[in-house]
Order: sequence, then structure tokens, then C-alpha cells
Amino acid sequence: MKISERSPGQRLLVLTYVLICFGLVLLFSASKGTFTRTVSTFKGSGDLFFWQQLVWIVLGTAGLMLTRRFPYRNYRRLVWLLYPLTILLLLVVLLVGHGRAARWIRVGPFNFQPAELAKVVLVLSLAAYLTERDINRPAVFAGSLMLTALPAVLIFKQPNLGTAFLLVLVCLVMMFQAGLAPRRLLVIFILILVSSPLLWLTMEPYQKERILTFLWPQRDPFGRGYNLLQSKITIGSGGLIGKGYLHGTQTKLAFLPEYHTDFIFCLLAEEFGLLGVTIFLGLYYLFLKELLSVVSFTRDEFGRLVTTGLFAIFFLQAVINISMTLGLFPVAGIPLPFISYGGSFMLMALLAVGLLANIRENPVIF
Amino acid sequence: MEQEKLLVNLVRVSLAILLLRCFYLQIIRFPYYSALSRKQSIRTIESGIPRGKILDRNGRVLAEDNPCFDLVFVPYDLKSPAEEAELLKGYIQMDRDKLREIFTRRYRNPFDRIVIKKNLSPEEVAVVSENAFRLPGIFVQTGIRRHYLLGKAAAHLLGHLGEISEEQLDRWKDRGLKAGDVIGQDGLERYYDDFLRGLPGGILVEVDALGHHRRILGEKELRPGHDLYLTVDRTFQEVAAEALGENEGCVVAMDPRNGQVLALVSWPAFDPENPEKALASSGKPFLNRVIQGQYPPGSVFKIVTEIAALETMSIEEHDRIECTGEMVVGDVVFHCWKEEGHGWLDINLALPFSCNIFFGTIGMKTGVARLLDYARLFHLGQPTGIDLPGEKSGLVPEVNQSGGPLNIAIGQGSLLTTPLQLLSLVASVANGGNIWKPYVVKKVISPTGKLVRDVTPQLLRTVYVTPETMEVLKRGLKNVVAFGTGSAAAVPGVEVAGKTGTAQRGTSETGMSTHGAFACYAPADNPSLSLVVFLDRGASKQAARIAGVILRKILLSLEEDGSGETAVSSGGTDEDF
Repeated sequence: MKISERSPGQRLLVLTYVLICFGLVLLFSASKGTFTRTVSTFKGSGDLFFWQQLVWIVLGTAGLMLTRRFPYRNYRRLVWLLYPLTILLLLVVLLVGHGRAARWIRVGPFNFQPAELAKVVLVLSLAAYLTERDINRPAVFAGSLMLTALPAVLIFKQPNLGTAFLLVLVCLVMMFQAGLAPRRLLVIFILILVSSPLLWLTMEPYQKERILTFLWPQRDPFGRGYNLLQSKITIGSGGLIGKGYLHGTQTKLAFLPEYHTDFIFCLLAEEFGLLGVTIFLGLYYLFLKELLSVVSFTRDEFGRLVTTGLFAIFFLQAVINISMTLGLFPVAGIPLPFISYGGSFMLMALLAVGLLANIRENPVIF
Repeated sequence: MEQEKLLVNLVRVSLAILLLRCFYLQIIRFPYYSALSRKQSIRTIESGIPRGKILDRNGRVLAEDNPCFDLVFVPYDLKSPAEEAELLKGYIQMDRDKLREIFTRRYRNPFDRIVIKKNLSPEEVAVVSENAFRLPGIFVQTGIRRHYLLGKAAAHLLGHLGEISEEQLDRWKDRGLKAGDVIGQDGLERYYDDFLRGLPGGILVEVDALGHHRRILGEKELRPGHDLYLTVDRTFQEVAAEALGENEGCVVAMDPRNGQVLALVSWPAFDPENPEKALASSGKPFLNRVIQGQYPPGSVFKIVTEIAALETMSIEEHDRIECTGEMVVGDVVFHCWKEEGHGWLDINLALPFSCNIFFGTIGMKTGVARLLDYARLFHLGQPTGIDLPGEKSGLVPEVNQSGGPLNIAIGQGSLLTTPLQLLSLVASVANGGNIWKPYVVKKVISPTGKLVRDVTPQLLRTVYVTPETMEVLKRGLKNVVAFGTGSAAAVPGVEVAGKTGTAQRGTSETGMSTHGAFACYAPADNPSLSLVVFLDRGASKQAARIAGVILRKILLSLEEDGSGETAVSSGGTDEDF
């Protein structure tokens, strides 16, 4: 294609916005459900979050234009500022967080989740740290783990187990890309195995119960167990071609509280059936493959590591989120990129895509 | 590159697994899930959370959960709200408009069970069950209600339950609590809520068109809460409440040998099963006067004055002072409660007759700073640390804000104490200077019989007082009851030692109100019981009389049956629950 020769990041952007439109279509349907009608009565309009999401997309697009132009190698130095700032924000949210779980910081009319920022900043920091360092040297290996552990522990405390777990996985993928010897990976697994019983012993009974229901939702047939069953009914009842747009019965009666966020994949599966699921997964596959092609195309090590890290975020979040709705993975509170309602993540995702396009368009160090 | 190839394959495999799983759910299992979705037949039925029992020191129940019948409805299954409201209002005592309001309110999950009325009478259960076929979506369900066997008599000790408030939810969000949960809101129910509260259980079921259970899809066993065994004796509690009657005030008793609280009554009280009824009433029914009421200690404080004066050798046992009924200090005239005066007396007579001139004089000799030091030494001015919520600390002021030695010596000025602090003071005299931390819960036992917490007596501090001083003081306290101001508390056959106290509050312009207090211990030579009776409005004589009634019942019932049913006989140690 001619266009992509002049602007090689174009393909990535097109795929991104196709996915975003897909998400808006689903979100509009979700806004017609009972739950959203009763919950957002304070504004008199159930599609409030549909419009909010649009605002975030516009903001994110503006951000994307900036990150696409801003010479990305500067981040190698900027992380010295960004990383401590993120840690500070995570501390602030622990101290003054809103809601039942302390995850939010309120900025004007918007709630912001520093954990979403932490994902991207960790990728940049790890990439900066690992560039021109040998991951197979014990000190560097330990350094990367420390770099990950600090935000992961703070996020775990919120408590947001899913995101903390995601950070660790992203770190592993980046280490792998940086050339980590397989036996070191083994060391990590052994470390996790050894440390978990120690952690377990220090926990209060109610914390243990929470972890157990996280791993085995059927322990709690009303909370997570109920959600999982309803989620499977919703997906299964969609069949091959689905019940039709805006005609999902499960989602409209609100058997799950989170059809617009964590469980939006159910809505897709119910209204568009296996056919819709296949199209969505196909699109997402193209998107992920495009990210990996950026990795292959880039000669700059920092750029390659950043791209791998961001790829890991998009890949793992989608797989974990969908596995969760299908009952293949514990319920984790991880949103589906570009689809789930959620401002902070949409913003960070678009900034990341801008950064990726930037890397794709500047593959060589001059 | 090797890594990218591996990652591409990882993506392919992962997405393929997701697609296969969707294929399984949406194609192979389609008939099953489609049917479930069409019939809307999944229900959750949560069971109530049984709380632990609260039992007295001998295992007699003070509070427990009883089964009851609740009327509930499922919004989704309700066929015609207006008609059913019309029918139902004849069956239960409830307004039709109120019923319609409940029926038409919007609920988050249309399949949740909503309680229409708790604790139905047997007649209501019968009539609703008979007409069940006319009331689709409405049915009777077993529930739980908290029963307090002593009612108002133990209201402040045990507390009450209530729905969790927004603020509490924020504070205890980590404790597994959620909106709508019922938790302890006062007294022991609050203080030990984490132990008493169990974990909810219930079932997840598939129902048929009529609402019958077809298949249980998930089940969670409930876990009842832990039981509390108190140091309090139920009989003692009842006797104390009865003796106090309708007098505004409180009674608190404790074993001076270990700090175990034996009875704790405050009046006016609320009905723990319907606390909201007391919200509108006057007289502060939710105030636990024993630990939250702060009053000038009055003449009971002369105990501290006497110890301070003798210990600092400001006077000697046989020093005599003349009371003419009044004394002039600077330009202030200071009165004794006995207008014509007590004449010449020494400390052995001044305490039983509670002579203000005598104690004012020795207070001045001792100095206000040393009086206040002794007050602090006896742990006044700080919470005793009892295991009940909301304890106040009282006040031992700084020297320059105290109101002077004359006032402090007789327990006036800006001194404030809670009745529990007075009890702690008199108990420490009874046992020779040991200040025990008062406590109410002796043991926490899990439903399986495991000992979860075992509380042992805790000695806060020992105040050293010379044996000579102690002997003079104890003789004086005995004489208070033998021939002095507290003679109304005398018990035939048992020697009682105590001190009366009357304190004024307010000014002569606004109308004086007097508090009457009596603090005592018995038997005088080998004390196993200490007691404080405090009256918001009343004379100390009346307080002594009430104390006398309680002591007679408790001490004499012991001698009669000797069965060890009450606390005082049982040696007061830990092996006896």
C-alpha cells in the first residue's frame, strides 16, 4: 500500500480505531440495560458512560498525536521522573483513595486510576533499564524484579490482585525478549512458590478467604460464583449468530453488575454469537500481530523492549479478561482493551498506540 | 527473530483456545444455556448469619439468635402488585400504600428476595401460607432475630444490632462487610463484633416455573459466630437492675481481686430488640452512664484525700480539727454539709461523718498538687481500658485549673470521674492497692468448642500505701456503714465498708442538681465484691440504700443456698465458667 509506505504506523492506527468503534457499538447496547438505568438515575440517562467514554477517546486521540510525534528515545531519560511520580501516585491512592477499594484519584469531574499509568510507566522503565544491560547478570536480573515489585506490591495492596499479577507477567515477557536464560525463569517460579506460603501465614482470615474465592469462585456462590455462572449462561445462550444487536436478554436484565466493564465480552457473545466472537478475535489477532511486526522491524533495542512490553499488556489483558468470562481464569478485574468502559485505561491505551506508531515510524537510530 | 516467532505462536494458541471454548459454550452447550437464559431460572438464596451467643459467667444465656418467620417477595415473580397488596393488607398488619410502595420500588436484581415484614406472628404465617396460591412471588421464609433475655436490664452492657452505616462501611471495608449487613452497634455487640459475626451461607439454585428448587448449583456453608462468655453474673445483673429501678443512674460491680465485672446497669435504657423506639425519648437512654457519664466524684474522693494526707504526713491519725459548720478562707466562706458543725474530730470520725471542714483543712495542708498526683496514681483521669466501646476518661485537672485544694479535697472543683473509675478506686482500696483492669469478656469460644481467646486478669499498677494508712482508711470506711453516712447499706451478718458522695452540679441560680453516689466493698475484711451505685439525681443516702438492697440479696443468697450460683462465692478465678 502506498499510504503505509509514507506513514508506516497507519495500519496500526486503523486497526486500533476499528476496535474502538467495535467497543462503542457494544457499549451503547450495554447502556440500554436495567442495571445501568437504575444505577445512573442520578443523571436521568443510562447512556451517560457511553458519552463519557467518547470524551476519553477524544482526549486519548489528542494524547496519541503527541506521543506519536514526541521522539520516543527521550523516555530513556524521562523514566527517572515518570517512575518515581507513578510510585508517588500509587501511594497517594492508597492513602486517600475513593470507593470500597482504593483505586481512584479524583481529578475534577474524572476519576483516574494510577494503576493504569503504572502499567505503561513500568514498561518504559524496564525497557530503559534493560537497554545495554545484560539481563543474565544476577544484579540486572534482581534489579528488574525490584523495579517491578515496587508498583506491583502497591497495587496488590489496593487491593487489585489482577493488575499486580499482570505487571509481573509483563516483566517476565520483557525479560524473555531481552534474552533471559530459561533457567532464570525457573528461578522466578521457585521464588514465587517458596514465598507464597510465607505470605499466606501472615494474612488475616478474611484476606485468605478473598484469595481462595479468587482462585475458586464456586466457593462463593453468590458473589463470584454467581457471576461466573451468569457469564457462561450469557455467552452460551448467544449461539452461532447471537440474539441480535440490542436484543440480549441476559445483559438487559442485568444479571451481572459489570456488563459495561469487565464482562463486556459476554454482551458481544450474547448479541452477536460465535460469529461476532470470531470476527472480534480475528481483528484482535491482526492488531497483536501488527505489534509484533513493529518489534521485528525496529533496530533500536529500547524501542524493541518498549514494544514488547506494550504488546504484553494488550495481549495478556485481552486473554485474561476473556478467559475470565469463559470461566477459564479467576475473576480478576482486568478490562478488555479498547472495548470495556473505563477512562484511565482507554487514555493509556491510546497513548501507548501513539508511542507504538512512533516506534514503527522511527525504526533506526540516526 | 526467535522471540517474536514464539510470541506469535503464543498469541495464536491462546486465541484458538478462547475460540474453542466459545465454540463449546455457544454451539455444543447451546441448548442448555439457552434454556437457562429463556426461563430466567437461576436464584440465589442467602441464609442469615447466625451470631454467636452471649452467656454469663455460669453459661446462662444473655443474648442469642432465635429463628423467626419473615415475609419476603421476589420482584420478578410478582404478578400483580396492586391486587396482591390489597390481599396482603388483610393478612398482616400493614398499610396497603406502604405495601404497594415496597412492591413498586426499583430493585437492582429483580430476583433478589426482599423482606416485606420481619418476625411474623404464628397467625400471620398461617394465613399467608393458606393463601399462598393467591400470592405468586410472595412467601414466608425462615429468618433470624436477636433475642436479649434480660431486655433493658442489660441493654448498655450487651448493646444492640443495626444496619451498617456508610461511615462504618468505609472504615471497615477490609473486614468483608457489605452494604445492608447487620452489625453490632453498641456495647459488647459492637466491641466484639468481629468475633460474634459469622459468615453468611446459602444456595444457588435452578428453579422451575413455580419457583420450586430443581437443582442446587452451588452451596456455601454458613459459619456461625463465636460465643462470648462474660465475667458478669446474670442473677447479679438482674438484682442490680431491679434495685436501681426507675432511678436515673447506674450500678456497677466488680470482683476487687481481679477486675472481673459482675454487673453493669445503666438507666434509662433502650429496648435492645427495638432500639429505634428509644431515639425520641428524653433522658439519654443510649448513654452508658457507667463508662460514659462524667461527674464530680464528690465525697467519695475523700478516700484519695485521706491517703494523700496521711502518706505525705500532712497530718497524723489523732490530729484533731474543729468543725464549726463553716470556715473562711480569704474572702470565701466554705460550708460543711452539717450546718451546726461536727465539733472537734480526728480522721477516724471525720471520714464516717464525711466532714467537709476537716477534709478541706487537711487538703490545704497536703497541697492541691499532691492531691492531684494521688488521683492520677489511682488511675483517675484516664480510661480504665474496659472492653466496652466509648469509655470516657474523666478529668484530673492541672493545678491552676483545679479550683483549689478545698474543692479538690472534697471531690468538687473541676474533677470528673466515671462511675467505673470510682469502682476501680474503691476496689483498689479493698485489695490493698492493686489496680486491675476491669473486663467483661472472660472467654471467646468458637462454634466447634475451640478456645479462641482467654482473658486473664491484668494488673495495671500497684499503688504503694503504708499498712498504717491502709488500716486507718479501712477502719474509717467500715465505720461509714457502721454508724456514719452510709448506714443504709448495712447488711446483717456481713461487714460492709464504703463511702458516700454527693456532688453538686450547676449553680444556685440555675438550680442545683445533686448526684448521689455510694462506693463500697464487702466483706470488709476479706473483700470479694466491690460495688458502685450512682444516681444522676438523688441523695447519697438513697444510693447507699440501693447498694444495701443489692448487697443483702447477693451476699445473703450466697449464705442460704451456698450453691455457687453467683460469682462472689465461686472464688472469682478463671476455672469456673
